Amino acid sequence: MNTMKLEIVTPTGLIFDGDVKMVTLPGKEGEFGVLPQHAQLVSLLDAGLITIQNARGGETIVAINGGYVKVDENKVSCIVDGAVLISDESGVVAEKLEEAKELLQKAQTSDVAIATAVGKVESIKKSL
Amino acid sequence: MASLKDIKRKIKSVKGTGKTTRAMKLVSSAKLKRAEELAKRSKVYAQKITEMIDEIALNISKSEKSLDNRFFKSVENPKVVDIVFITADKGLCGGFNSQTIKKVNQLKDEYEAQGSTVRLRAIGKKGVAYFKFNRIEMLNEIDGLSSAPDYQKAASFINECIADYLTGKSDKVVIVHNGYVNMITQEIRVDEVLPVDASKITAKESTGSELELEPDDDDTLLEALVQRYIEYIMYYALIDSLAAEHGARMQAMDAATNNANDMVKSLTVAYNKARQEAITTELIEIISGVESMK
Repeated sequence: MNTMKLEIVTPTGLIFDGDVKMVTLPGKEGEFGVLPQHAQLVSLLDAGLITIQNARGGETIVAINGGYVKVDENKVSCIVDGAVLISDESGVVAEKLEEAKELLQKAQTSDVAIATAVGKVESIKKSL
Repeated sequence: MASLKDIKRKIKSVKGTGKTTRAMKLVSSAKLKRAEELAKRSKVYAQKITEMIDEIALNISKSEKSLDNRFFKSVENPKVVDIVFITADKGLCGGFNSQTIKKVNQLKDEYEAQGSTVRLRAIGKKGVAYFKFNRIEMLNEIDGLSSAPDYQKAASFINECIADYLTGKSDKVVIVHNGYVNMITQEIRVDEVLPVDASKITAKESTGSELELEPDDDDTLLEALVQRYIEYIMYYALIDSLAAEHGARMQAMDAATNNANDMVKSLTVAYNKARQEAITTELIEIISGVESMK
C-alpha cells in the first residue's frame, strides 16, 4: 500500500504526525485531495476540515482556521494558525466538536467556507 | 536599642516575607517549565515555515524575478521606525523590565539621532507604566498579553505594524524583548523584523518535481507567508520573554528568600542579646536591692 507522511503544525505544537493514504484539504480555490506521489505543490488553505485516510485504516478529521500546505512526493506538511483534532481511530471526541466550531467561526476568511465547514461539523455531531 | 517586642514583631514580618518569596519562586519555576515547553513545541512551526519561505523564494529566483517586494526592500534612512517591546505585566523580577526599557530608550535615542521618528508599541503593563510616567507617547499599548501569550492576539497586534509598514507609514519594525538563555541568564534581543533580510533566505536546490503554486501567484503567496512568519516571530518573542521573566523572577525571589533568612538570623541574635541584657539588668536590680536592705 502506498502511503505518505502527513504533518499538521500550529504555533502551539504538532497536531498530527503520521502515515496516511490520502488527505483532503480545504484549499483557497476549492477542496482538493492529495494521494502519495503527488507533484510538488504549495497552496493556501482556507478555514475548514482536513480529512485524513489513515494508513492503518480509519479516518481522522482536523478542523483548521487557515494556513498553508506544502506537498512533496511522499510528504505533506500543513502549517496552520490553529487546529483541533476532532476524531481519530478511537472515534469522535464529542467535546472537541464545540471547540472546532468555535475555531472555525472565529477564522477570518470567507463566510461560505466557514458555513460549509461548520455544517460538516454539525453533521458529524448528528451522526454520533 | 529596639525593645524586645519590636524585634519580635520584625522577625515575624521578615519570616512572613520569606515565606511569600519562597512561594513565588516555586510558582515561577513551575511556570518557567511550562513556558519552556511551549517554546519547544512552537519551534517545529518555525522550522516548517522557514523551509516553505526558502522554497518559494527559490521558485521566484528561478523565474528570474527579483525579490522587489516591499517586505524585502530595505530603506537606507528609515523615516519612521516602529519599536515593539515586551515587558512583563508584573514586577518583582529583578532588573528584567528595566533592562528592556533601558534598551528601548537607547534605541530610540539612536534612531532619533539619525533623524528618524520613533513610534513605540508597548506590550506589558510595566513598560506602559514607565513610559506613561515619563510622559513619552506610545502609539499602541496592550497588557495581559505578555503574561499569557496568545497567538491570535499577538498576530493582530503585529498585523497593525505590518499594515502600517506596507502602506508606507513606517519604514522599519524592530522587536525588543528580554530573552531566555538559561535558568539564570537573560539576554536582551533586538529583532529587526521588517524589512525582512533577504540574505537570510538560504534556498537550496530541491530534487523534486517542479513546484506548483496555488493561487498561481508567487508574490501573494510569499507575502502571506512572510506575514505569517512575522506573526510567528512576534508570538515566539512573547513566549521567550515569558520564560525569561520567570527565570528572572525565580532568581530574584531566591535572592530575596536568602536575604530574608539572613535577616531573621541576625534579628534573632539581636533579640537574644537584648533578652540577656534585660535579664542581667533585672538581676543587678534585685541584687542591689537586697544589698541595700542589709
